[in-house]
Amino acid sequence: MLLMEVIMEEAGAFSGCSSTTAVGDRANFMYDWNEWETVSAEEWALLPSAGVVADDFHELVEAMMFSTGDDVFQGPSAVGLESVSHTASYNSSPSSMASSEDEAAVVSRDDKGARLVDLLVAAAEALEGPQKCPELARVILVRLKELVSQAAATGGATSMERLAAHFTDALQGLLDGDVGGGGRRKGSVRHSADALTAFQLLQDMSPYVKFGHFTANQAILEASAGERRVHIVDYDIAEGVQWASLMQALVSRPGGGPPPHLRITAVSRGGGSRAVQETGRRLAAFASSVGQPFSFSQVRLEPDGERFRPAGVRLVKGEAVVMNCILPPTTTTSSGSTQSVASFLSCAAAIGARLVTLVEEEAEETPGEAEPVVEQKGSFVGRFMGELRRYSAMWDSLEAGFPMQGRARGVVERVILGPWIAGAVGRAYKEAVSGEQKEGRWGEWMAAAGFGRVEMSCFNHSQAKLLLGLFNDGYRVEEEGCNKLVLGWKTSRLLSASVWKPPLPPPPPPPPCLDSSPLPLPLPLPLPLGAFDSYEISDFFYD
Amino acid sequence: MFPAASRKPPSTPMNSSSHERAPMCVQGDSGLVLTTDPKPRLRWTAELHDRFVDAVNQLGGPDKATPKTIMRVMGVKGLTLYHLKSHLQKFRLGKQPHREFNDHYSFKEAAMDLQRNTASSSRIMGRSMNEVLHGTEAHRMQLEVHRRFHEQLEVQKHLQIRIEAQGKYMQSILEKAYQTLAAGQGTEAAGEQLGFVHDMADLQLFGGTGDLQLDNSHQLHLGSIHHLQPPDHGLYLTASPALIGKKMIMAGEKSPFIWDDEAEDDDDSQLHNIGIDVAPGVIDGGYEAKPTIPNADDDKLVLEGTAKMDRPSPLRVLNHPLSVEAINGMLINNRR
Repeated sequence: MLLMEVIMEEAGAFSGCSSTTAVGDRANFMYDWNEWETVSAEEWALLPSAGVVADDFHELVEAMMFSTGDDVFQGPSAVGLESVSHTASYNSSPSSMASSEDEAAVVSRDDKGARLVDLLVAAAEALEGPQKCPELARVILVRLKELVSQAAATGGATSMERLAAHFTDALQGLLDGDVGGGGRRKGSVRHSADALTAFQLLQDMSPYVKFGHFTANQAILEASAGERRVHIVDYDIAEGVQWASLMQALVSRPGGGPPPHLRITAVSRGGGSRAVQETGRRLAAFASSVGQPFSFSQVRLEPDGERFRPAGVRLVKGEAVVMNCILPPTTTTSSGSTQSVASFLSCAAAIGARLVTLVEEEAEETPGEAEPVVEQKGSFVGRFMGELRRYSAMWDSLEAGFPMQGRARGVVERVILGPWIAGAVGRAYKEAVSGEQKEGRWGEWMAAAGFGRVEMSCFNHSQAKLLLGLFNDGYRVEEEGCNKLVLGWKTSRLLSASVWKPPLPPPPPPPPCLDSSPLPLPLPLPLPLGAFDSYEISDFFYD
Repeated sequence: MFPAASRKPPSTPMNSSSHERAPMCVQGDSGLVLTTDPKPRLRWTAELHDRFVDAVNQLGGPDKATPKTIMRVMGVKGLTLYHLKSHLQKFRLGKQPHREFNDHYSFKEAAMDLQRNTASSSRIMGRSMNEVLHGTEAHRMQLEVHRRFHEQLEVQKHLQIRIEAQGKYMQSILEKAYQTLAAGQGTEAAGEQLGFVHDMADLQLFGGTGDLQLDNSHQLHLGSIHHLQPPDHGLYLTASPALIGKKMIMAGEKSPFIWDDEAEDDDDSQLHNIGIDVAPGVIDGGYEAKPTIPNADDDKLVLEGTAKMDRPSPLRVLNHPLSVEAINGMLINNRR
């Protein structure tokens, strides 16, 4: 097999590295894949159009990573046909079988895709564990880049090639020592116009962003029904997009009458204070345009460790406090560190929150079958493959919705998803090294810490279903537990939104000197009175 | 017990709901079922009620009939005036169209009519009760279905509003960002950038507005940029940027814009050759903008299909929300 030879070649050049295990595993893997390949060529249908093919890459990735012999036969074929019917533009006969030339094309495409995935995984393996071999990783990355740029040169990289390119870059970033979340750009990217534009495009193309925002907002609306004042403490306000629709919803409440006063305290970190301020201004302007009484404040995380200090939040009597925690990064590349998020969430009771909304990336659930290549879930390779699967699902979802517009998609991929991938890979590496695993697990953490589940309403569930329906059939929403909705693409889980209430009955709006005793995690000492680090940008309308 | 028993008007305090209790029942040979519990409660079985109704009708209707006369006509042993009085009252109220429990009651009647027609032979108490209950359940389910349907409409309506709000907000921050950009650059470059911007603004423009032509087949026509998407795709049906953006992007690759990145990022976060363009015909298609943002200082819409703009123009993209009913109609009709 060509790939085997490639790897052997590359491995051979560095005889010092013991990479036999990796190669050995590869061999088994390759064998399975060969079996699968013959089936897929027959089963995958093609669209009879200008070279647009149902590039269901993430199914490919899944099938390859997580299949035994049996599944191999069932998985791709069923899904291949299904995916074809979703790329709807030119699809007149979904069950049309490929012509022989197209078969060859499909085979070779799969071939390339599989090869790329293999190389990526091999590179990841080479970066981890006792058999760590950075040189091997480097070589593999070089090879990957060759493959990808070849493809790009000869008339447009396909979906999988572009995805592979981003993962290659991410791994390269790791190698180059940029381990702290690859290319961490904060303030500069956040408000630059191209990032915003790309973000807008992303929102237009997929329900990814809106799902989290709308679900959280609906829960907030329900929890604060009848209140005169609502105070939201937002962990990562980013552009503030979430709050525009909340304001509109507050203003359009069915009961009529004036909307409650909305106050947002945004948490800022490091040098992002100015950006947060800017967001506050924008939100204030929007609020005035819709007639929503609004005020805005900011509270900074501690510079080291980025811990949240509840004392920095000004509380007003009679307001309903909500904590909002949207973890997947939007226009920045990285979400908060584990410590930071934990410190934020654990203050829910201290600030008297009645509701905590959480949106996080969902960890992939690995299927029950044996995974021939991957070791424990906690390993870097395991996480890496999880990220690969997640982003290939996202890639596919964008492709399915916008098959013809590679350019706009390319913008989104380059400006937003690429940095996300780099961040994700970086985080995966850090967590593998440090042994924690918090990504996708905050819900579990909260349950364990005594947070109560707040039931997700039918309205919310219906809203999510309707929202997804506006985009593509491939998206699905599932309810999990009673307080969580999970957004997925086909069989992959992407994102979840869940609703919680703090562990203990919230104390009455506390005076600024807080007693941290009821909390499950240790808190930093509360600051003395007067040492607030917050300030207000207020636009009062109806006081 | 009839579930209506729990909804009795306060004037008949005696006939409180007995469904908490499970008294023993005896069926006499008159068909009358009396319970062993001390309160004089009668079980109005379907058969008994039929007879009651017959009697009432014979007597000229519930308003004309009196308990005494009914008793005489029915000729059922063990039936007291008291029973009849309350039952008649309920019956009379049940005939009123606007009482809340009326639906319940008359539906129950209807259910009983139905079962009378379908299963006239065996009238065992338990079975009758069961059937009446099922009828009520069906009624409840029907109400539930109505409720759910209305809730769905509500969800749709609110979702529409929320999506639009988000779109509006994104628009405004994009505009500001580009204006900041323009302010920081020379006019040439700014013109080009804004040229790109105006395309992107168009992405949201159509997203936010309701002035697109919606024809009966619920497709959005953008002049020459008409799309081959199957109508049930769902993306057409709202004024959300989602669908419009998509359509705009599909518009084709015409004169690409070269947008040079600011020096902010050293990496390749540059947008090149987006190739999103707007055909002139589209824009002119009778677009009227009405200001809904109170602080809009300029409601003049400057849209051109050309790649370059000579000078930066204020881009005021304004929203004119589609009527919610229209959206609902579309959404409902086009639900898969």
